[in-house]
Amino acid sequence: MKLKIRKGKEAGILAVFLAISLVIALSSPVFLRIDNLFDIIKSNIVLGIMAIAMLPIILTGGIDVSVASIIAAVTVIIGNFMIGVSSNIFAVFVVGCASGAVLGLINGLLVAKLKIPPIVATLGTMSIIIGVVLYVTNGTWITGIPQNFINFGRTDLFAVSVREGEPIGLPIQFVFLFGAAVLMWFVLRHTLVGRGVYAMGGSVVSAERIGYDLDKITIFIYTFEGFLIGLAGSVHTSIMRQVDPGAFSGFELHVIAAVVLGGASVLGGYGSVFGTLLGVALFAVLNNGLILMHIPVFWQKIVVGVVLIASISVDILQKRYSESRMTRVDIEPVEG
Amino acid sequence: MPTNKLSAFIRKKEFILLVIFVLVFALMSALAPRQFLRPFNIQSMAFQLPEFGILAIAMMIVIVSGGINLSITYTATLSSIVAAVAISSMGQAGVADWKVILLGIVIALATSLAAGAINGFVVAYVGVTPMLVTLGTMTLFEGVSLNITKGGAISGFPDSFLWLGNATIIGIPVPMVIFVAIVLASWYLMGRSRFGFSVYMIGCNPRATMFSGINVKRVLMGVYLFSAVLCALSGLIMSSRYNSAKESYGSSYLLQSIAAAVLGGTDIAGGYGSLSGTILAVMILQVITSGTNIIGINPYLTNIIMGAILIFVLALNYLSSRRESRKLV
Repeated sequence: MKLKIRKGKEAGILAVFLAISLVIALSSPVFLRIDNLFDIIKSNIVLGIMAIAMLPIILTGGIDVSVASIIAAVTVIIGNFMIGVSSNIFAVFVVGCASGAVLGLINGLLVAKLKIPPIVATLGTMSIIIGVVLYVTNGTWITGIPQNFINFGRTDLFAVSVREGEPIGLPIQFVFLFGAAVLMWFVLRHTLVGRGVYAMGGSVVSAERIGYDLDKITIFIYTFEGFLIGLAGSVHTSIMRQVDPGAFSGFELHVIAAVVLGGASVLGGYGSVFGTLLGVALFAVLNNGLILMHIPVFWQKIVVGVVLIASISVDILQKRYSESRMTRVDIEPVEG
Repeated sequence: MPTNKLSAFIRKKEFILLVIFVLVFALMSALAPRQFLRPFNIQSMAFQLPEFGILAIAMMIVIVSGGINLSITYTATLSSIVAAVAISSMGQAGVADWKVILLGIVIALATSLAAGAINGFVVAYVGVTPMLVTLGTMTLFEGVSLNITKGGAISGFPDSFLWLGNATIIGIPVPMVIFVAIVLASWYLMGRSRFGFSVYMIGCNPRATMFSGINVKRVLMGVYLFSAVLCALSGLIMSSRYNSAKESYGSSYLLQSIAAAVLGGTDIAGGYGSLSGTILAVMILQVITSGTNIIGINPYLTNIIMGAILIFVLALNYLSSRRESRKLV
């Protein structure tokens, strides 16, 4: 029974996604052009990886508002690393992921060991991390990223030539989004920690009684989140080819919105990688479609806000409706 | 016995905050005695504090009810933008100043009530988690504001509107007078009225509150309406102080107001929170901001200090509560 509802939730988001895509495709022929589709993907890879990173935190009923400051810190660190130490691509990614993981670990320790509520702990670390980043960089951009990293960022897979201009293909950064998604799916579905995450979101008390070490799970998911944000930071730098320490201000709410739009419950215990990717895709298509349909940029926020409120409200109302039907079914046999 | 009362007060969260406030104030005074203690600086702090203080109270009340309101800053700017459009267009039409301003305030309050009603309706009657609702309305209000301003700022107020944010009454800034009035009203509402008591109860346990015969939905609606009205007042002060209205004004206050509420001892899970703690926290943050500014410390360092204080105080709360519970065992 529960599985059916779950499938229904993701199917609902998929239906909305397809419906919106259809409307946009019908009103703008550019939408389905291969270069536009690749553009949409390229500009949302970072959001996608960040949303996947945030998912387990939300699954446990927590939240992380420091993600934007962590990715800003990571981009600054690898920017300096590339220019000052080595521009070896593998080394850059290792440094990015490691520094993200360390920052995530700090969050994890604050939440698990000092029992500071996640939103408050990450609010504090956000303030500190972004403060340090801006203090060190003074807000100035880092340019002069080594050429080999820029070339790596420009690599396309399955390049196709489009009539006008240079060939276009699936950006290489997509591999990282795909990898992050598969990795997270595997961790959540097939490992003890992953099952613990869902158990914790369902009920902290029961999860503890079953024997899950909640502190360890908490520390793990924040560190893992930091690791993936580090990946996102490296990917972001390879796309933008420069580092802007202030580029991510306000991005944390964007990430949370995408995860939530993808069907994850902020109360914890419910959500999936597939749903999160759908949430990101919905955002991506919505933003792209509004631009293609020449709707003034000021309307975009309104549309996004309304879609967000409506989708969550419908979800709640649907759940209440199905629950009321379930009770009716229970009563009938008693009467008969 | 007074000694008992005193020792009880010392163990309270507010006492820690008071100590921190005194320490920070003393530190700033010691580091920049000439500039920091100047009447001009004290007065300018009193000008800056209310707009943020009001938002922090607006946030605290919602947190006490077990929710959170991420839309406060955009509720503030949306109401002030709608009012600004009315004020500047009426001002050009030659309507008397006092009528214009009065009508402007009424329009701002009405706009905020509409905004608060959306939040309250979806939270209380539809039953969506407050964080999500207000995340959505935050984006929505920002979008509506942007649609009105087209990304710019609205200005052209009559001079008398500027009184609200810039004038003084016997040396006390008008915003401060408004702030004190709001604090008294909130203190009465939260500490002395049936409504306030219900809010604390709902924050502890909404189901039990419902079974004890309180209309939870109506109280929650009231919480979001009250929060929105406070936002409108803060928005009016901001637009009067900056002599314009823009959607991004005060957007940095959002996470700061959560920090202030929590620093002030409010339980993020709801059910506990004190007005005096929140105000003390706001004062601490204000002294740090102004003080570091005067001393000439890099403003980015202020972020670091505030974050560190937030984590430090919460860690202290946890450690002291653990010691208390060990004593009980």
